[in-house]
Amino acid sequence: MAAAAAAAAGTPVGLSSVLSYGRLVARAVLGGLSQTDPRAGGGGGGDYGLVTAGCGFGKDFRKGLLKKGACYGDDACFVARHRSADVLGVADGVGGWRDYGVDPSQFSGTLMRTCERLVKEGRFVPSNPIGILTTSYCELLQNKVPLLGSSTACIVVLDRTSHRLHTANLGDSGFLVVRGGEVVHRSDEQQHYFNTPFQLSIAPPEAEGVVLSDSPDAADSTSFDVQLGDIILTATDGLFDNMPDYMILQELKKLKNSNYESIQQTARSIAEQAHELAYDPNYMSPFAQFACDNGLNVRGGKPDDITVLLSIVAEYTD
Amino acid sequence: MSPVFPMLTVLTMFYYICLRRRARTAARGEMMDSHRTIESNSRTSSLNAEVVQYAKEVLDFSSHYGGENSMSYTMWNLAGVPSVFPSSGDFTQTAVFRTYGTWWDQCPSASLPFKRTPPNFQSQDYVELTFEEQVYPTAIHILETYHPGAVIRILACSANPYSPGPPAEVRWEILWSERLTKVNASQARQFKPCIKQINFPTNLIRLEVNSSLLDYYTELDAVVLHGMKDKPMLSLSTSLIDMNDLEEDDYEENDGCGMDNLNQNFSNAALREGSNNGYFDKLPCELIQLILSHLTLPDLCRLAQTCKLLNQHCCDPLQYIHLNLQPYWAKLNDTSLEFLQTRCTLIQWLNLSWTGNRGFISVAGFSRFLKVCGSELVRLELSCSHFLNETCLEVISEMCPNLQDLNLSSCYKLPPQAFSHIAKLCSLKRLVLYRTKIEQTALLSILNFCSELQHLSLGSCIMIEDCDVIASMIGAKCKKLRTLDLWRCKSFTENGIAELASGCPLLEELDLGWCSTLQSSTGCFIRLARQLPNLQKLFLTANRSVCDTDIEELASNCTRLQQLDILGTRMVSLASLRRLLESCKDLSLLDVSFCSQIDNRAVLELNASFPKVYIKKSFTQ
Repeated sequence: MAAAAAAAAGTPVGLSSVLSYGRLVARAVLGGLSQTDPRAGGGGGGDYGLVTAGCGFGKDFRKGLLKKGACYGDDACFVARHRSADVLGVADGVGGWRDYGVDPSQFSGTLMRTCERLVKEGRFVPSNPIGILTTSYCELLQNKVPLLGSSTACIVVLDRTSHRLHTANLGDSGFLVVRGGEVVHRSDEQQHYFNTPFQLSIAPPEAEGVVLSDSPDAADSTSFDVQLGDIILTATDGLFDNMPDYMILQELKKLKNSNYESIQQTARSIAEQAHELAYDPNYMSPFAQFACDNGLNVRGGKPDDITVLLSIVAEYTD
Repeated sequence: MSPVFPMLTVLTMFYYICLRRRARTAARGEMMDSHRTIESNSRTSSLNAEVVQYAKEVLDFSSHYGGENSMSYTMWNLAGVPSVFPSSGDFTQTAVFRTYGTWWDQCPSASLPFKRTPPNFQSQDYVELTFEEQVYPTAIHILETYHPGAVIRILACSANPYSPGPPAEVRWEILWSERLTKVNASQARQFKPCIKQINFPTNLIRLEVNSSLLDYYTELDAVVLHGMKDKPMLSLSTSLIDMNDLEEDDYEENDGCGMDNLNQNFSNAALREGSNNGYFDKLPCELIQLILSHLTLPDLCRLAQTCKLLNQHCCDPLQYIHLNLQPYWAKLNDTSLEFLQTRCTLIQWLNLSWTGNRGFISVAGFSRFLKVCGSELVRLELSCSHFLNETCLEVISEMCPNLQDLNLSSCYKLPPQAFSHIAKLCSLKRLVLYRTKIEQTALLSILNFCSELQHLSLGSCIMIEDCDVIASMIGAKCKKLRTLDLWRCKSFTENGIAELASGCPLLEELDLGWCSTLQSSTGCFIRLARQLPNLQKLFLTANRSVCDTDIEELASNCTRLQQLDILGTRMVSLASLRRLLESCKDLSLLDVSFCSQIDNRAVLELNASFPKVYIKKSFTQ
């Protein structure tokens, strides 16, 4: 790839400062997202919260890479908290729209920003993560701006009081829940056929019916009981296509405590490693493996936008 | 000499009222400055900490641009912290009212203004906001992010909406008001009006707006209420100014929402009999009546106390043929209606919009009034009158057989079954049901029986399941329909358009904004253009499929077009717009915002060739 992204900046910065900081750092893709820290002290009533850090890489640098919200290339993500739940999500804008003169990150970015707004305003039910996707998708159509594009999406909700993790996944982004060094729960990948994930989309009127468009209801929804110390890794296919589980677990083993800094560091090292592998022509990536299974002779990593959100379940105090 | 004297006295009194008002209006500017001193004084001198809060909830409002189940462009966005400010532009996260400018007053569906509306009442829309804590307000900041300048009045209410049980007293006080002035900037601003001090704590604030001088929709991001938890101590200088405030207060009492006085005036109507009215006895009654017709309602009531002759004239039912009580919404109650009742036996137009909320008017009070005064009623405006229930609509349908014009916009608290009573009003010509919960069955029966309907507004009626069925009933029964508003109707398709276009050839105005189920590829817009040559206003807002062919068809068939909105389509080119502007000579409003093929240069180009047309091009950053 011609313009590979520079290494991620190391400072943990809040979501809002990503915006202002974005222009300064220019080529470097920022690491670090938002922090939902459980302030020290015992959890009142045993509520859980997520401590989340994020990191990502854009496939290549384009003008307007860092807009409002957090975007890595065509990927977008958000971390939001509400008194009833911690919610995070990733979305991977489908790059094919660039041929139509449409910036694919506009769709994924607006989708995630809308989800974030819904959560912050409390317009959601923790046990219904598909509802968040559905409402956001409808809101995109309520924008005066005629948005075009499509995107996969993965939403993870931790209900503070019930300690249940509710998830909705549409397409090939996904999440892992790791407990004691093992994957105890994960998302299913949804693909129409090889390298064509399920996706939410808004097509131009003339292409309606031609463009793949799945309903938010098609999302795969699961619920899972989490425990303190569970690690939740939510990422776009840029990670899962380049890093097999064992490598991810290896990285996660290095995570010793649940403070924001160490989570941030681990998230960064995972993203960096995936990024390196993506550009290794001799590496047999999970993507290449899957391609071979589908009768395509492919080797090497899969250069793609990578977004990683790493969370730990911790006690929550308001 | 002597017969002239009493007449002079009366005339003097008459003019005194007018002069007094004018003088006070002039003095208001200075008053503003003195308020500023109050504000700074109380801030520095008091130990009492200032509380700063954003709005907690949006309680009530009269209209908005956004959909009922949405969070884009809705009034609910006014609650909470700002999400756009200090950026400027057209953003989904803000609160937007339904209209701007005078475009809605110029189209065929516009209704005539009421006479005798006091000149200081210019509010068109309102929004009521609640805050967490009750405070004595010291400042209110309104974050306006697009086309500022719409807010013209701010009021505070003494009732705490969060306290359990009904409030002992509900009092509204004007914190700030200003005559309509043009603000030329379209950029974001933090509006900080100098507000009056009030002697009660509040957590319910009402903003009233008038958008008629704006070039585009105003967008409000957030409202900040600054205030003291305890009553601020007044220093010597401020208490001096406070005397002026009383005067000011008096002014507002009389003319702003002065129903208190009105009610008193009604009651002590017993006057001593005078022997001689001088030249007034010689003036033809018609002339006196004509003079009186220029007075506002409170002035009329005051004049009624001067002498028996004028009392007679002032209480003459002919003075109350058209009665606009909307300006007095803050004070109008059952008692006022009861006093007015005897004078309103010939009333034809009645405006009770915004009135009666928070228990001011009861169902019984309203019913009593209509039983006495409903028989001649032709027009009844009841926008945002939340006291209405099913019984009220039943009473209207029984007592007002001649009703032609009924406005129930934003009466969203009316239960769906209430609307079925409207079907009995078979001479209805105009029916406004914007933002109500009317359901299909009730609407079908109304359409079936009210075949005289000329104007129908069904904007944002979310309970209508299948709008095509409604359209087909309209096409079959309401042949005289001239205007139809289906703004944000979710189920309207090409079938509905076909029924409408063939059944209602007189249609002059059609609002299909945000009807996302309409697809140009079905040829529905072409059909519309070909079968409705009288169209003067057509809104196709946010219909992404509107294309060049549709515009060309409009250009060749609808040459009377005056207003066209095609916001948010990617498929219309400069060439077809040029053709439209060339053939539609009357076109005065063209909204091409977010049409991706029409950039700012294209708009400039069109503006140069067609200088009379207002071409709107909104933007986000």
